[in-house]
Amino acid sequence: MSKSWRGTRALVFLASTVILLSSRPSLLAADILQQIKERGVLLWGADAEGGAPYVYPDPQQPAQLIGFEFELAEALARRLGVKARMVQNQWDGLIPALERGNFDIILNGLELTSENQQHIAMSRPYFVYAQQIVTRLDTQNLVGMEALKGKQVGVLSSSVAQRLLEKMGGVELRAYPGNVESFRDLTARRIEAVLLDSPIALYYAKSDPSLRFSGAPFAPGFYGIGLRKQDTNLLAAINLAMADLIQCRTLEAIYRKYGVWDERQASLQGYKPEIISSTAAHSTLRDLPKYLPLLFRGAVTTVEISVLAMALAVVAGLVIVLVRLYAVAPLQWLAKAYVEVVRGTPLLIQLFLIYYGLPEIGIRLNAFLAAILGLGLNYAASESENYRAGIQSIPRGQTEASLALGMSRWQTLKHVILPQAVRVVIPPVTNDFIAMFKDSSIVSVITMVELTKVYGMLAMSTYDYIGLGLVTAGIYFALSYPASIFANWLERRLCYDPR
Amino acid sequence: MIHVENLVKSYNSNRVLHGICHSQGSSETVVLIGPSGCGKTTFLRCLNQLEIPDAGRITIGDVTVEACGLPRTSKEREQQRQLRLRAGMVFQCFNLFPHLTVLENVTQAPMVVKHMPQEEAEAAALKLLAKVGLQTKTASYPLQLSGGQQQRVAIARALAMEPQVMLFDEPTSALDPELREEVLGVMRQLAEDGMTMIVVTHEMQFARDMADRVLFFDQGRVAESGSPEQLFSSPQNERTREFLGLGTLRCG
Repeated sequence: MSKSWRGTRALVFLASTVILLSSRPSLLAADILQQIKERGVLLWGADAEGGAPYVYPDPQQPAQLIGFEFELAEALARRLGVKARMVQNQWDGLIPALERGNFDIILNGLELTSENQQHIAMSRPYFVYAQQIVTRLDTQNLVGMEALKGKQVGVLSSSVAQRLLEKMGGVELRAYPGNVESFRDLTARRIEAVLLDSPIALYYAKSDPSLRFSGAPFAPGFYGIGLRKQDTNLLAAINLAMADLIQCRTLEAIYRKYGVWDERQASLQGYKPEIISSTAAHSTLRDLPKYLPLLFRGAVTTVEISVLAMALAVVAGLVIVLVRLYAVAPLQWLAKAYVEVVRGTPLLIQLFLIYYGLPEIGIRLNAFLAAILGLGLNYAASESENYRAGIQSIPRGQTEASLALGMSRWQTLKHVILPQAVRVVIPPVTNDFIAMFKDSSIVSVITMVELTKVYGMLAMSTYDYIGLGLVTAGIYFALSYPASIFANWLERRLCYDPR
Repeated sequence: MIHVENLVKSYNSNRVLHGICHSQGSSETVVLIGPSGCGKTTFLRCLNQLEIPDAGRITIGDVTVEACGLPRTSKEREQQRQLRLRAGMVFQCFNLFPHLTVLENVTQAPMVVKHMPQEEAEAAALKLLAKVGLQTKTASYPLQLSGGQQQRVAIARALAMEPQVMLFDEPTSALDPELREEVLGVMRQLAEDGMTMIVVTHEMQFARDMADRVLFFDQGRVAESGSPEQLFSSPQNERTREFLGLGTLRCG
């Protein structure tokens, strides 16, 4: 299971990790089990956003959390003689947040893999998942992973399904930040199939009559609880409690309640921990040649989207400001309303509306076009305001002198006002262009894989948030700095004031 | 050359021009004087439609504009533009185009408005710049020039459109005393060459020397008019006497 990746949060997290390195909380040294008992609360980290059926807000009572993991946490805490309290954390950042002491355990669909076990300790498994292919009702013969080759397939970003398909190759992968979005695109015929963890498939797709499960689940794996490596007492206590919950069928009762119990779960009973062979730790410096091409490909997408969207914004902004200042009253009002609405609503929601909302009225744009349109039309509103400030900063005498010379309003604008306004608006427009480079990371929510998204995926799989973060930040800077140099040069070139 | 009938202009409920009538022949230089807020600048700006009069009729050369609010039809707009083409305007603050060189300032309007070829426009501009004594400054930008030089460029710029009359709105008010003379010199030359001019100013010496007629404006009316000798040596109107007696009063 996995959740959305948000670039900005990754960088906030990066910053906090840097701070962590300089001052590791002292509480980690003490015995954590003792501490939990003293404070009477077990803190467990999870992400409730799009978290059904693991942990999610009760649709009937949104203030209350439910889910099979939520109830498992409650049961575990009861065995330890304490209360459970969920700590909300972005899914991609759960492991680093555990390491810096935000909570005691991770209980949120964390796969029992050797990669994970290099960084943290993991309890005995509490759930057996498998990969399920979901298609539209009318799709035939998509059984088994091989059948997905050459097809457009949606997966959850950074999930096991994504890793499996990337390893196999030959699949047109579309990574989504949440579960609802991939099924929407499946229904909208943008993709052919969705591959995902069985519990999510059961929860989201079973009830939709237009979708069907194609073939049996495959590639089973385990979810385990994540702990810090040094917390051995807590690990022992958790494993003991878990064995107890499995033995007395409490676990089965919880899973049945959420419809995720199947025969495979029986194998939890006799689970023997495997010896995890320790593979060499990742080193960004050494593996850089491997990562750089991926980052560069992301950077190319970032540049393409930013440049095209900015071109759209610069032109559309000009149209908007001219209409707003010089057109007949109703059109002026319309342009003003556009600016107010667009800048007064979140870009994220605008992107969702363009990508997922427009197909409802028959306009089906691909993700690339939707990204450019969304960013471009959003920035057009702010460019038009930059232009308005620039145009209105030109003294009235300039217009009067032009009119007195016999120029029309349009000639005045074209030959006198705009050439002077250009210089005034270069700094704010450049600023927006550089902001666009960074803001463009938001288009990963509509499945575009740009630079921050690539960073997120690589950091997720290597745990090297800092090294890769510095490299990625360096690439962003290398992209935006020439833009500011160019703007400075342009500003100097257009300068006519000797003072 | 200029014929104005019953020009009325109000800002909201404040009437600033009370039905001005004025006739002026070709090559005549008329100087408008009067206290601050008396309406003389507004009158000048109405003549080339930078202010839209509420009522009245303005004729310059062969173009007549009947005032009735903002022009709505394209025919009305064209009439307004034709009127402006007949009248060159020189502003108190020069209003040169700072992004263009001196030469470009003078050539732009002929090229844009009259579609004059560049070489022709530049040849004409060089002649005009020589006339105002700035043939060496053609490549400079306005902000590199002194106020007096800028105002002389502004005069050349207006002349480049070959207007039939020139309107001067306090052309020396923003200048230091030593710079005024170079601008006034150019204006004297223009008047001697037979240009039809209306000058709003408080340069009394210029009015005495160059005006064919002086109009004294007061509270939106022409209170008194006559030759400079008449007006300056034996003013008939009480307000004119007061104004000339308090010669330091500035007119805006």
